[in-house]
Amino acid sequence: MGAFDPIITYEKGTYIETDTGNKVSRKASITGATNIILGGKSIIKNDTILRGDLRRSTAGQHVVLSIGRYCLIGENSIIRPPGKLHKGSFTFYPIRISDFVHIQSNCIIEAASIGSCVEIGKNCIIGKFVIIKDLAIILPDTVLPEGTIVPPMSIWGGNPGKLVDTLPETYQETMESKCKNYYLRFKSA
Amino acid sequence: MSVTYSCCHLDSPHAPLPPSYPSSSSSYHSLDKLYFCEECDAVRCDLCSAIEIASYFCPNCLFDVPSANVRADKNRCARSCFSCPTCESSLSIQASDQPSTDNAVGPTATAMTLSGPPYALVCSGCKWSSKEVGWSFDKPTGIALQLQKMNTQVDLVQSEFDSLKDHLESYITLSNPTPSSSSSSRSTRNPSRHISHLTQMAQRALHRDVGGLVAYSARSKRSSPAEKGEKEKFGWDELDEYVPKDSWRRTGLEKGLEDVDLIRDFEESGASGLAALVKRWQSSWDRGSMSREILPQRIPLQTKLTKRCPHPNCRHLLIQPDTKTVRMKIKMVASNYLPLVEIGRRRRRLPSNDISESPDQMSVQDMEKQRRERRRTRGGNPVREEDELMDTPFKAGETYSFQIALTNPLYDPIQIRLTLPHQPKKAPKTDFSVIIPTPHFTINALKDAWAYEEDDESDDYLMGGSGIGGLEAGFSEEGTTTTGTGTNTGTLSRKSKLTILSSNNNKRSKENLNGIEKKGNITKVGLDIQILPEIVRKSKVEFDLEIRYTYKADDLGTPTNDKDENKSKDKDNSTQNKEEYKNFTFWTRVNLGHVE
Repeated sequence: MGAFDPIITYEKGTYIETDTGNKVSRKASITGATNIILGGKSIIKNDTILRGDLRRSTAGQHVVLSIGRYCLIGENSIIRPPGKLHKGSFTFYPIRISDFVHIQSNCIIEAASIGSCVEIGKNCIIGKFVIIKDLAIILPDTVLPEGTIVPPMSIWGGNPGKLVDTLPETYQETMESKCKNYYLRFKSA
Repeated sequence: MSVTYSCCHLDSPHAPLPPSYPSSSSSYHSLDKLYFCEECDAVRCDLCSAIEIASYFCPNCLFDVPSANVRADKNRCARSCFSCPTCESSLSIQASDQPSTDNAVGPTATAMTLSGPPYALVCSGCKWSSKEVGWSFDKPTGIALQLQKMNTQVDLVQSEFDSLKDHLESYITLSNPTPSSSSSSRSTRNPSRHISHLTQMAQRALHRDVGGLVAYSARSKRSSPAEKGEKEKFGWDELDEYVPKDSWRRTGLEKGLEDVDLIRDFEESGASGLAALVKRWQSSWDRGSMSREILPQRIPLQTKLTKRCPHPNCRHLLIQPDTKTVRMKIKMVASNYLPLVEIGRRRRRLPSNDISESPDQMSVQDMEKQRRERRRTRGGNPVREEDELMDTPFKAGETYSFQIALTNPLYDPIQIRLTLPHQPKKAPKTDFSVIIPTPHFTINALKDAWAYEEDDESDDYLMGGSGIGGLEAGFSEEGTTTTGTGTNTGTLSRKSKLTILSSNNNKRSKENLNGIEKKGNITKVGLDIQILPEIVRKSKVEFDLEIRYTYKADDLGTPTNDKDENKSKDKDNSTQNKEEYKNFTFWTRVNLGHVE
């Protein structure tokens, strides 16, 4: 897979590298960092917005945003926990993103959970409390309305998003090697 | 630009027709969609594999529907999943806030929205509400059941349908074992399931009717007086006439009046009021044709499929899904057996007189590129090439060089032979020629996951950076460049890797001169395309490649099993018999784009 893919370089010092191999852009706006967990070897690109400050109003430590391993958050994408009125008070709910999730540039994500091996194309809007199960592709420019459930092994596209196709059985391996390959190619100049 | 693999379906493996025959395109698929049957030692595709439904599930509530219920539920979710009549996204259940408006007087009511009945279905995509069609529910669960109870609209149609079904069912159960005479097999009206081969054969052998069944003998008696003329009709389905419960002629007249109303409605609403044809197809019954009359539909179920080898003597499982998870119990996919073929690094060969052309106009990058070029072709002819993007159109009369990369999925090294398949005599001539400078080469084995990753990490440097000439330099720098990402396991593996590299360093550099680049379980070789000057504009540059690979036969059954390195080394040391090796040939189609 990807024998001819070029190396993606960034200027040295523009990304912070953590002990677990995460690469986080200095230009990303990350609020409430204590409420965010990164699994390792994940890349957060320039000008992304991660809203870790939108937490449950009750006291105590809450994990707002957990991101797995080998994930990618593309340029200008926004990840914002969904919120709703519950028993008379407004509360935010956490977002869980599993391993091998690629979110391309200019996306707005308000999902409740995103399973492993999911690819979200450019310019997508993932509505509040959307649940994306493992192994799915959201095509570029898709809008998923609030509360949509994306079943495993499916391809969704359109506005509003619809199930357009199913994935081949080999997709898990393809996506895992793609994510690993991307991480290895993403290096400082 | 794409590389697709041929599936010969049930034929014996053969070279498919060249790309100039459009009919050949149907047997090509991308590698990730192909399966591999170990028993038949053949590639299988979605078109030829036998498919069975393993389980049904609702794509919205993800409920696993037992297959016994599916037919009664009419292949749709029988819980609370509905799709929006306007935008087709799934509807959510919303409690109405009526209690609060009832209790409070005036607009200064409390913001408390007491969730309670009646419930409505609301689309979060387009804000459509089931109140528009007058649907409201007492409970937020089991909407489909509630709807079935309260929906009387289709009662008339439903009862008619049920009685018709009963009528036909009685016929099916009565006449199922009825044998029919062979002469009637010509008749298309005769359902083939009625023909019992055994009785037919007996009939032929005895030259008389082998009946014994009441239905059959009754039928043959009836037709005996006019046997000559009626012979054709022997096995025809003889149905009692169905008496409809309701006169549909009268309904037809009513429909005429409805149509008048419809036209009146249409005049008021304009074209936007009319429902799209797609939406009307989706509803099973005869619904209104105005968009406001389209009702939400229960969401159709999805399936998980079991796939089998199509060969009648094999029928082995290729894919068996696990109903609970996304994993597969059995997964025989071609990507675990066939090398992955990729094509890239396109370069255009510049004519030799261009070499002296204006060196002062070159940028620093160009200079470096040229230097790299010279290094690459060191010892060979001084050919200058220019890097090009893969998707730019080809120019007539030019020569392009590509690299073709093959990835070995097996835990043993394999030998490759690349050839162009034999063209049929009458095949149209192509206006470009393909040259494979190095048709024979080997690919290293796939290693354990960690070793493989480390390979990538360290060898990426070679690939992107100095190319072939800077091999030694690359290795010495390696330590400094990769320390940043090094983890505990990383440092360990690097040591082992360096020893491996030093052992076959000599071999590698020798091969590099022939244009072979090796990196982990990937080998890259050159491939030249010569576009003839007379080529038709906009024509596709597409050709087939025949790839034969030689592998160890004893691994035929378990190529995916982990193998200790010691073990494989032992095998390498021991003198190998020729019999241990097996060949497998497959065909790929390479599409490189089109001519300018």
